[in-house]
Amino acid sequence: MPIVTVNGKSVHIQELNKDAAETIVLVHGMFSNLSVYYFNIAPLLATKYHVVLYDLKSHGMSEKTLLGYDLESMTNDLLALMEELKLQKVHLGGYSFGGLIALKMAIRFPERINKLAVIEAPDPNDDKTRGIIDEYSREFLEHYVENFTDTTKVKMGKRQMERNHRMYEYLFYQTSIKTDMELEKDFFSSPAIGTIQQATLLLYGTDSNCLNVGKYLDELIENADLIAVPGDHNIPIQQPLVIAEALLNFFQEK
Amino acid sequence: MDSITTTKLSSEEIFDLMKKFITEVIGEEFVEEMDITPESSFTKDLEMDSIEIVSFSEKIKAHFGEQIDFTGWLSSMDLDQLINLNLGMIISYIEECQS
Repeated sequence: MPIVTVNGKSVHIQELNKDAAETIVLVHGMFSNLSVYYFNIAPLLATKYHVVLYDLKSHGMSEKTLLGYDLESMTNDLLALMEELKLQKVHLGGYSFGGLIALKMAIRFPERINKLAVIEAPDPNDDKTRGIIDEYSREFLEHYVENFTDTTKVKMGKRQMERNHRMYEYLFYQTSIKTDMELEKDFFSSPAIGTIQQATLLLYGTDSNCLNVGKYLDELIENADLIAVPGDHNIPIQQPLVIAEALLNFFQEK
Repeated sequence: MDSITTTKLSSEEIFDLMKKFITEVIGEEFVEEMDITPESSFTKDLEMDSIEIVSFSEKIKAHFGEQIDFTGWLSSMDLDQLINLNLGMIISYIEECQS
C-alpha cells in the first residue's frame, strides 16, 4: 500500500499514469475516502493525466490525527503532499468538504494550482452541514444509513456499521473537527472567494441541497462555469462517468 | 509485498489466494465467522467497503503485476455490477488473463 509521510503523519495515496505530463490531484469529502474516485473517475482521467488520490487525515487508510481539520491545516497538508511528490503545479478537484479544501488551496497558493474543479462543495455556514457534526450519535448513524444512503444503493452490514461508527466516534468526540468546522462558517462570505482567478468548474446535482451554493460560487468566481448533473449530493457515486467526462473535458480545454 | 508471479494458477489456487488477500484486508477474526465461497459477493456477503476493495485490488496488482489490469476491469463496471461482484467473477477474470 503506497504510504507517504506528510507533516509527520502517514498518508495513503494512489497514483495512476505517473508518466503523464500534467497532474490532477483529487480530494475526497468528510467521512469518505479516496475510493470515491478510485474505481471510475480516476481511471478515465488517467487516460490523459497523472492522477493523485489521497486519504485525508483520519480517513480511509491515512493515520489518525487529533488536530488540524480547519481549511488552513488541510491545505497545509495538501501543499506538503505536493512537495513530497515534487508536484510544482497541478489541476485540483475536490468533492464536498474536499471542494472546500480545493477552493482554499486556490486562494492560498494560486501559483501552484492550474485549473480548479469543485464538486458539491457545501456552504460551511449551512445548518444541515454543521448539524451532522453537532448531532452525531449511534442512533444518528443508523438513521442516516437507513434514510440517506439509499441513493448510493449500498446498505451497510454489521461490520461496516461498527467500522463507520468507530470512525465517526473518533472524529466527532476525540478530534478537533467540530470546533475547526465551526470556525470556517464565514468562508463563503469572505472576500477571498472572489479573488480566485483559475478556470473553475462547478459540478452540482440538480436535486442537491447544495445546488444554490453552486449558483452562488458561479456568480462570485470570475472564470467559473456551473454544470448541473442529474442526481443529488452523491453525484460522483451516482454518475461517476458523467462526472469523469465533465472533468476530463474541462481539464483538456485550452 | 508479494512477488509478481508468472506461473499459471488453477481456479482453486486463485480462490485460495483471493481468500488469503481478503483475510489480510478484513482481518482473521471476521473471516473465521464467514463461509467464503466463489459465490460470496464482496459488498453483501463479505461486507467489504470500497476502501477495502482498494486494498484488495492493490494486493492483486502487487501479486500479478502488469499481467492483470484489475482496476481497469473494475472501472468498466457500474455501481450495480460492483455491488454484485463475487469471488467467482474475479477468479474467471484472472483465469482469462492467464490464458
